[in-house]
Amino acid sequence: MAVNISAADRHARMPTRSGQLRRKLQDPTLQGLILLAPAVLTYAVFAFYPMIDVIQLSFMKWNGLNADKHWVGLDNYRYVLADDPVFWVAFKNTLIWTFLSVVFPPLIGFGLALGLNQNIPGRSPLRALFYMPVIIAPIAVATMWRWMFDPFFGLFNSLLSAAGWPNLIQDWLGDRNVALYSVFIGYVWEVAGFSMVLFLAGLQGVSPTLIEAARIDGAGRFQLFRYVTLPALRPTITIVLILSLINSLKAFDIVYGMTGGGPAQSTQMLAMWAYTQAMQLGDFGRGSAISVVLLLITVAIVIPYLRWTLKRHEAYQ
Amino acid sequence: MSGVASPFRQAGAERVDPLLVALWITLIIVAMIWIAPFVFIIFTSLKSNATVMGTGAFSPPTSIAWENFTNAWRRGDFGTTVVNSTIITVIKVPLGLMISAMAAYSLSRIQIRGHKVVFLAIVFGTMIPFQVMLAPIFKQVNSFGLINTYVGIILPYLAFGVPYQVFILHGFFKDVPKELSEAALIDGASHFTVFRRIFLPVSLPVLAALLILDFVATWNEFAMALVILQDPDRWTLPLGLMSFQSQFARDYGQLNAAIVMTVLPAAIVYLIFQRYFVSGLTSGAVKE
Repeated sequence: MAVNISAADRHARMPTRSGQLRRKLQDPTLQGLILLAPAVLTYAVFAFYPMIDVIQLSFMKWNGLNADKHWVGLDNYRYVLADDPVFWVAFKNTLIWTFLSVVFPPLIGFGLALGLNQNIPGRSPLRALFYMPVIIAPIAVATMWRWMFDPFFGLFNSLLSAAGWPNLIQDWLGDRNVALYSVFIGYVWEVAGFSMVLFLAGLQGVSPTLIEAARIDGAGRFQLFRYVTLPALRPTITIVLILSLINSLKAFDIVYGMTGGGPAQSTQMLAMWAYTQAMQLGDFGRGSAISVVLLLITVAIVIPYLRWTLKRHEAYQ
Repeated sequence: MSGVASPFRQAGAERVDPLLVALWITLIIVAMIWIAPFVFIIFTSLKSNATVMGTGAFSPPTSIAWENFTNAWRRGDFGTTVVNSTIITVIKVPLGLMISAMAAYSLSRIQIRGHKVVFLAIVFGTMIPFQVMLAPIFKQVNSFGLINTYVGIILPYLAFGVPYQVFILHGFFKDVPKELSEAALIDGASHFTVFRRIFLPVSLPVLAALLILDFVATWNEFAMALVILQDPDRWTLPLGLMSFQSQFARDYGQLNAAIVMTVLPAAIVYLIFQRYFVSGLTSGAVKE
């Protein structure tokens, strides 16, 4: 492509203004810093600093508003880990939720991607349809599914009674034994398309010559899948699993919108319990202690993945 | 995409593959399940409350109750929330992309001392679920006196857009041939000029993809807005829908009309710019 430095730009470098400022601006390091500054400053102040601050807050007693803030050492952690009846419920629910999120949406996405990578009619509209829920506001997804789970006029119970299975009718979001799984069904609908898109991109990277060669060597469908496609997809699989895991920890909107953590804390999760403690019960210290526990878990998972990504990045240069 | 002419055949094969036909039927069935919630919501949004209670979930509305939409619009104060969402998105998205692109250029091409540490700190941010830190973010915004202001929500939004966008643009800028920029630099052009005249034009497709992804993400954001925008006059669309749901949950038709109105803008943007979504999502994550 042609690079045209216009007359206007050349003119801008003419010694019209103070020569000193102009000479300084010719320093590439200064230019680099000017380009870097806006993004790094906003990131540092509103994203990175809160990450540090949450650790500091977790050792404080503070209601988030008035000046009375004092150091309490490990008290918040002691309370959260030993005395808070909700923390371990939320912890267990987060574990179940994360496990389910790492298994089901990726599996469904993988199946859809394998199918939609074949030579079949209508695959573009099908891809668009499965991805559609991903771009809907999670709070709207929550509202949709809450209505579909409505015990009286919702979709599920209407379908069950129409199908002649009235004994399967549930109070989907009101029964503490099923609520978590009901919310999760809505979540699967919301996010499976995301895994599908990543897998589709990965499948497009599988070398066609390799597949052709294997087929000429007499490899059957299963062998092709097992010995060519699956190994080639290994990086994609890792990425999808890590992203599913991280996204599952972000599942705040859908729980907030569908159950608010109830009934009887049966859908409560750590991210939302941290929010509730700090913003609704007015205890920033305890809320922050919960956040720190969750951040530690995340970092423990993320650091090995980041090292792996950076290694890959360097390998491809 | 050439295969549509002779479907159900494996590459190079002449006969129709029965396994592919079975696969296709399965996909169609799954697609029907996937589309069912949309159909259900749209049907309900067009029924009066009495019809919702009297007819089956999938029976189409007999007389169309458009008043659900006008009533929901008024009662949910959609006028205010749509304006707020639009102002925030229209300022945040281009501005965020601009500062991310500038930073990505600087990190990939100028390599100031310590650029690796800065890059690592930023990439780290792509992996942290910020929903867990709503309290310290609230504290930070509050310390600047920016609760319930557009600036107060736009600044954290900018901060959380930076990691992912810098990560992807950095990868892209690294692959731009060196010759393209070096000639201009030797001719005496500044990095500002090289960035604006060479890198921005070359990366337009990636920028377009990121722009659309970020538009949808910002339009849909809920948790941060919940904490920072507490005054109903400043609420965004997702907050408005949440409040509508808790107030009018029994006005089924209107509730579903509210859902449709909330979902529609993002759905339209998606359907128009569909192919950019996939490239935008995957150019960073599953890059060769």
